[in-house]
Amino acid sequence: MARRKRQAYAAGGAEDDVNLTPMLDVVFILLIFFIVTAQFIKEPGVAIIRPEVDNKAAAKPLAILIAINEDSEIYIDKKKVSPEEVAFTIKQMREDNPRGEIVVQADVNSSAETLVDVMETINRLDGATAINISAKIE
Amino acid sequence: MRGRSHSAPEEANVDLTPMLDVVFILLIFFIVTSTFAQEEAIGLEPPPPPAPPQEEQTQSVPAILIYVDESNLITVNGRATDIGSVRANIERVRAETPESQVIIQAHPRAKSGVIVLIRDAAYNAGYRTGVNLVLSQDS
Repeated sequence: MARRKRQAYAAGGAEDDVNLTPMLDVVFILLIFFIVTAQFIKEPGVAIIRPEVDNKAAAKPLAILIAINEDSEIYIDKKKVSPEEVAFTIKQMREDNPRGEIVVQADVNSSAETLVDVMETINRLDGATAINISAKIE
Repeated sequence: MRGRSHSAPEEANVDLTPMLDVVFILLIFFIVTSTFAQEEAIGLEPPPPPAPPQEEQTQSVPAILIYVDESNLITVNGRATDIGSVRANIERVRAETPESQVIIQAHPRAKSGVIVLIRDAAYNAGYRTGVNLVLSQDS
Protein backbone atom coordinates (compact mmCIF):
# COMPACT_ATOMS: atom_id res chain seq x y z
CA MET A 1 0.00 0.00 0.00
CA ALA A 2 2.61 2.45 1.12
CA ARG A 3 4.75 1.43 -1.81
CA ARG A 4 2.06 2.19 -4.33
CA LYS A 5 1.36 5.53 -2.75
CA ARG A 6 5.03 6.35 -2.83
CA GLN A 7 5.38 5.38 -6.46
CA ALA A 8 2.47 7.57 -7.32
CA TYR A 9 4.08 10.38 -5.41
CA ALA A 10 7.46 9.83 -7.07
CA ALA A 11 5.92 9.69 -10.52
CA GLY A 12 4.02 12.84 -9.83
CA GLY A 13 6.92 14.64 -8.15
CA ALA A 14 9.90 16.24 -9.81
CA GLU A 15 12.44 13.73 -8.38
CA ASP A 16 12.49 10.10 -9.56
CA ASP A 17 14.33 7.88 -7.05
CA VAL A 18 14.52 4.11 -7.40
CA ASN A 19 12.78 2.10 -4.74
CA LEU A 20 15.56 0.13 -3.01
CA THR A 21 13.45 -1.72 -0.47
CA PRO A 22 12.95 -4.97 -2.52
CA MET A 23 16.67 -5.10 -3.29
CA LEU A 24 17.46 -4.69 0.40
CA ASP A 25 15.04 -7.53 1.15
CA VAL A 26 16.80 -9.78 -1.34
CA VAL A 27 20.27 -8.85 -0.04
CA PHE A 28 19.27 -9.63 3.53
CA ILE A 29 17.67 -12.92 2.56
CA LEU A 30 20.87 -13.93 0.70
CA LEU A 31 22.98 -12.91 3.69
CA ILE A 32 20.84 -14.95 6.07
CA PHE A 33 20.86 -17.90 3.67
CA PHE A 34 24.66 -17.94 3.52
CA ILE A 35 24.99 -17.51 7.29
CA VAL A 36 22.62 -20.40 7.93
CA THR A 37 24.11 -22.79 5.38
CA ALA A 38 27.75 -22.05 6.24
CA GLN A 39 29.60 -24.98 7.75
CA PHE A 40 32.04 -23.91 10.36
CA ILE A 41 35.29 -25.69 11.03
CA LYS A 42 36.17 -26.13 14.66
CA GLU A 43 39.85 -25.39 15.07
CA PRO A 44 41.80 -27.36 17.67
CA GLY A 45 43.37 -24.15 18.90
CA VAL A 46 46.87 -25.34 19.71
CA ALA A 47 50.03 -24.23 17.99
CA ILE A 48 51.82 -27.07 16.28
CA ILE A 49 54.87 -27.38 14.07
CA ARG A 50 53.94 -29.14 10.85
CA PRO A 51 56.38 -31.29 8.92
CA GLU A 52 57.67 -29.98 5.60
CA VAL A 53 56.97 -32.52 2.87
CA ASP A 54 56.98 -32.57 -0.94
CA ASN A 55 53.98 -34.79 -1.60
CA LYS A 56 50.96 -32.99 -0.29
CA ALA A 57 47.56 -32.12 -1.55
CA ALA A 58 44.93 -29.66 -0.39
CA ALA A 59 42.41 -31.42 1.82
CA LYS A 60 38.98 -30.10 1.01
CA PRO A 61 36.30 -29.88 2.01
CA LEU A 62 37.62 -29.85 5.54
CA ALA A 63 35.45 -31.33 8.21
CA ILE A 64 37.25 -32.29 11.38
CA LEU A 65 40.63 -31.16 12.62
CA ILE A 66 42.47 -33.18 15.23
CA ALA A 67 45.65 -31.75 16.69
CA ILE A 68 48.41 -33.60 18.50
CA ASN A 69 50.75 -31.19 20.21
CA GLU A 70 54.40 -31.66 21.05
CA ASP A 71 53.55 -33.29 24.39
CA SER A 72 51.40 -35.85 22.53
CA GLU A 73 48.15 -34.45 23.89
CA ILE A 74 45.15 -34.63 21.58
CA TYR A 75 43.05 -31.51 21.05
CA ILE A 76 39.74 -31.28 19.22
CA ASP A 77 37.67 -28.10 19.16
CA LYS A 78 39.92 -26.32 21.69
CA LYS A 79 39.42 -29.10 24.22
CA LYS A 80 41.89 -31.70 25.35
CA VAL A 81 40.62 -35.16 24.52
CA SER A 82 41.89 -38.41 25.96
CA PRO A 83 42.84 -41.12 23.42
CA GLU A 84 39.83 -43.21 24.44
CA GLU A 85 37.40 -40.36 23.78
CA VAL A 86 38.70 -39.57 20.28
CA ALA A 87 36.38 -42.02 18.53
CA PHE A 88 33.34 -40.71 20.40
CA THR A 89 34.24 -37.07 19.69
CA ILE A 90 34.76 -37.76 15.98
CA LYS A 91 31.40 -39.52 15.79
CA GLN A 92 29.73 -36.56 17.47
CA MET A 93 31.34 -34.07 15.10
CA ARG A 94 30.47 -36.20 12.10
CA GLU A 95 26.81 -35.56 12.82
CA ASP A 96 27.29 -31.85 12.17
CA ASN A 97 29.58 -32.44 9.22
CA PRO A 98 28.84 -35.74 7.50
CA ARG A 99 31.06 -35.14 4.48
CA GLY A 100 34.56 -33.84 4.29
CA GLU A 101 38.05 -34.79 5.26
CA ILE A 102 39.48 -35.52 8.66
CA VAL A 103 42.91 -33.95 9.00
CA VAL A 104 45.34 -34.82 11.76
CA GLN A 105 47.63 -31.96 12.68
CA ALA A 106 50.51 -33.84 14.22
CA ASP A 107 53.38 -31.88 15.69
CA VAL A 108 56.75 -33.08 14.46
CA ASN A 109 57.76 -33.78 18.06
CA SER A 110 54.67 -35.74 19.04
CA SER A 111 55.15 -39.43 19.71
CA ALA A 112 54.53 -42.03 17.04
CA GLU A 113 52.38 -44.01 19.45
CA THR A 114 49.77 -41.24 19.76
CA LEU A 115 49.75 -40.59 16.02
CA VAL A 116 49.30 -44.26 15.18
CA ASP A 117 46.62 -44.56 17.83
CA VAL A 118 44.63 -41.66 16.34
CA MET A 119 45.14 -43.02 12.83
CA GLU A 120 43.84 -46.43 13.86
CA THR A 121 40.79 -44.81 15.40
CA ILE A 122 40.02 -42.85 12.22
CA ASN A 123 40.56 -45.95 10.11
CA ARG A 124 38.16 -47.91 12.30
CA LEU A 125 35.47 -45.22 12.04
CA ASP A 126 35.84 -44.13 8.42
CA GLY A 127 37.61 -47.03 6.79
CA ALA A 128 40.04 -44.52 5.32
CA THR A 129 43.13 -46.14 3.87
CA ALA A 130 45.16 -42.95 3.90
CA ILE A 131 44.92 -40.54 6.78
CA ASN A 132 45.58 -36.88 6.05
CA ILE A 133 48.49 -35.56 8.05
CA SER A 134 48.70 -31.79 7.90
CA ALA A 135 51.85 -30.45 6.24
CA LYS A 136 53.37 -27.01 6.16
CA ILE A 137 52.03 -24.66 3.49
CA GLU A 138 54.64 -22.47 1.81
CA MET B 1 17.39 24.67 3.63
CA ARG B 2 14.64 27.13 3.97
CA GLY B 3 13.93 26.90 0.27
CA ARG B 4 13.41 23.14 0.51
CA SER B 5 10.93 23.17 3.29
CA HIS B 6 8.03 23.49 0.89
CA SER B 7 8.67 20.03 -0.58
CA ALA B 8 7.97 18.09 2.68
CA PRO B 9 5.79 15.15 1.64
CA GLU B 10 2.59 14.31 3.34
CA GLU B 11 3.93 10.78 3.95
CA ALA B 12 7.24 10.25 5.74
CA ASN B 13 9.33 7.77 3.79
CA VAL B 14 12.78 6.77 4.99
CA ASP B 15 15.68 7.01 2.58
CA LEU B 16 17.32 3.56 2.63
CA THR B 17 20.29 4.35 0.38
CA PRO B 18 22.80 5.21 3.19
CA MET B 19 21.84 2.05 5.06
CA LEU B 20 22.34 0.00 1.91
CA ASP B 21 25.76 1.63 1.48
CA VAL B 22 26.72 0.67 5.00
CA VAL B 23 25.43 -2.89 4.60
CA PHE B 24 27.43 -3.38 1.40
CA ILE B 25 30.56 -1.93 2.94
CA LEU B 26 30.18 -4.30 5.92
CA LEU B 27 29.60 -7.24 3.57
CA ILE B 28 32.69 -6.41 1.51
CA PHE B 29 34.74 -5.86 4.66
CA PHE B 30 33.85 -9.28 6.04
CA ILE B 31 34.43 -11.00 2.68
CA VAL B 32 37.86 -9.42 2.35
CA THR B 33 39.02 -10.01 5.93
CA SER B 34 37.71 -13.56 6.24
CA THR B 35 40.38 -16.25 6.17
CA PHE B 36 39.26 -19.62 5.02
CA ALA B 37 40.55 -22.64 6.86
CA GLN B 38 42.83 -24.53 4.54
CA GLU B 39 45.01 -27.52 5.09
CA GLU B 40 47.52 -29.29 2.91
CA ALA B 41 47.99 -32.85 3.90
CA ILE B 42 50.08 -35.91 3.11
CA GLY B 43 48.39 -39.30 3.04
CA LEU B 44 49.71 -41.70 5.64
CA GLU B 45 48.47 -45.27 5.76
CA PRO B 46 47.21 -46.54 9.09
CA PRO B 47 48.67 -49.80 10.37
CA PRO B 48 46.98 -52.91 9.01
CA PRO B 49 44.58 -54.67 11.35
CA PRO B 50 46.41 -56.86 13.83
CA ALA B 51 47.40 -60.15 12.21
CA PRO B 52 48.87 -63.23 13.84
CA PRO B 53 52.57 -62.51 14.22
CA GLN B 54 53.71 -65.69 12.47
CA GLU B 55 51.82 -64.66 9.34
CA GLU B 56 54.01 -61.61 9.03
CA GLN B 57 57.08 -63.79 9.33
CA THR B 58 56.05 -66.00 6.44
CA GLN B 59 55.31 -63.12 4.07
CA SER B 60 56.85 -63.89 0.71
CA VAL B 61 56.89 -60.28 -0.47
CA PRO B 62 60.34 -58.77 -0.03
CA ALA B 63 60.33 -55.79 2.26
CA ILE B 64 62.31 -52.68 2.83
CA LEU B 65 62.32 -52.36 6.59
CA ILE B 66 62.86 -48.86 7.86
CA TYR B 67 63.24 -48.84 11.59
CA VAL B 68 63.03 -45.67 13.64
CA ASP B 69 64.25 -46.17 17.18
CA GLU B 70 63.58 -44.29 20.38
CA SER B 71 66.16 -41.60 19.65
CA ASN B 72 64.91 -41.17 16.06
CA LEU B 73 67.82 -43.00 14.47
CA ILE B 74 66.81 -44.45 11.13
CA THR B 75 67.88 -47.87 9.97
CA VAL B 76 67.09 -49.06 6.43
CA ASN B 77 67.40 -52.84 6.16
CA GLY B 78 69.87 -52.87 9.02
CA ARG B 79 71.99 -50.04 7.75
CA ALA B 80 71.98 -46.86 9.81
CA THR B 81 71.26 -43.74 7.80
CA ASP B 82 69.95 -40.22 8.14
CA ILE B 83 66.71 -38.71 6.90
CA GLY B 84 68.25 -37.23 3.76
CA SER B 85 69.52 -40.60 2.56
CA VAL B 86 66.31 -42.56 3.16
CA ARG B 87 65.09 -41.97 -0.37
CA ALA B 88 68.40 -43.09 -1.91
CA ASN B 89 68.36 -46.19 0.27
CA ILE B 90 64.81 -47.06 -0.70
CA GLU B 91 65.61 -46.59 -4.38
CA ARG B 92 68.74 -48.72 -4.09
CA VAL B 93 66.90 -51.64 -2.50
CA ARG B 94 64.01 -51.21 -4.91
CA ALA B 95 66.38 -51.47 -7.85
CA GLU B 96 67.49 -54.87 -6.57
CA THR B 97 64.03 -56.16 -5.70
CA PRO B 98 61.45 -54.08 -7.61
CA GLU B 99 58.33 -55.58 -6.07
CA SER B 100 59.38 -54.94 -2.49
CA GLN B 101 57.10 -53.19 -0.04
CA VAL B 102 58.17 -50.56 2.45
CA ILE B 103 57.58 -51.19 6.12
CA ILE B 104 58.13 -48.30 8.48
CA GLN B 105 58.58 -49.67 11.95
CA ALA B 106 58.58 -46.98 14.58
CA HIS B 107 59.33 -47.08 18.25
CA PRO B 108 56.30 -45.77 20.18
CA ARG B 109 58.33 -42.83 21.47
CA ALA B 110 59.81 -41.92 18.09
CA LYS B 111 58.81 -38.53 16.74
CA SER B 112 55.94 -38.50 14.29
CA GLY B 113 57.70 -35.84 12.22
CA VAL B 114 60.37 -38.38 11.32
CA ILE B 115 57.74 -40.89 10.24
CA VAL B 116 56.00 -38.33 8.04
CA LEU B 117 59.33 -37.43 6.45
CA ILE B 118 60.10 -41.10 5.77
CA ARG B 119 56.68 -41.56 4.17
CA ASP B 120 57.40 -38.48 2.09
CA ALA B 121 60.73 -39.98 1.01
CA ALA B 122 58.88 -43.16 0.03
CA TYR B 123 56.46 -41.07 -2.05
CA ASN B 124 59.46 -39.46 -3.71
CA ALA B 125 60.90 -42.90 -4.42
CA GLY B 126 57.69 -43.81 -6.22
CA TYR B 127 55.64 -45.53 -3.53
CA ARG B 128 52.08 -44.25 -3.96
CA THR B 129 50.88 -47.29 -2.05
CA GLY B 130 52.53 -50.27 -0.49
CA VAL B 131 53.89 -48.58 2.59
CA ASN B 132 53.00 -50.02 5.95
CA LEU B 133 53.44 -48.26 9.23
CA VAL B 134 53.76 -50.37 12.34
CA LEU B 135 54.79 -49.70 15.88
CA SER B 136 57.52 -51.83 17.32
CA GLN B 137 56.25 -53.90 20.20
CA ASP B 138 59.23 -53.62 22.52
CA SER B 139 58.29 -50.40 24.26
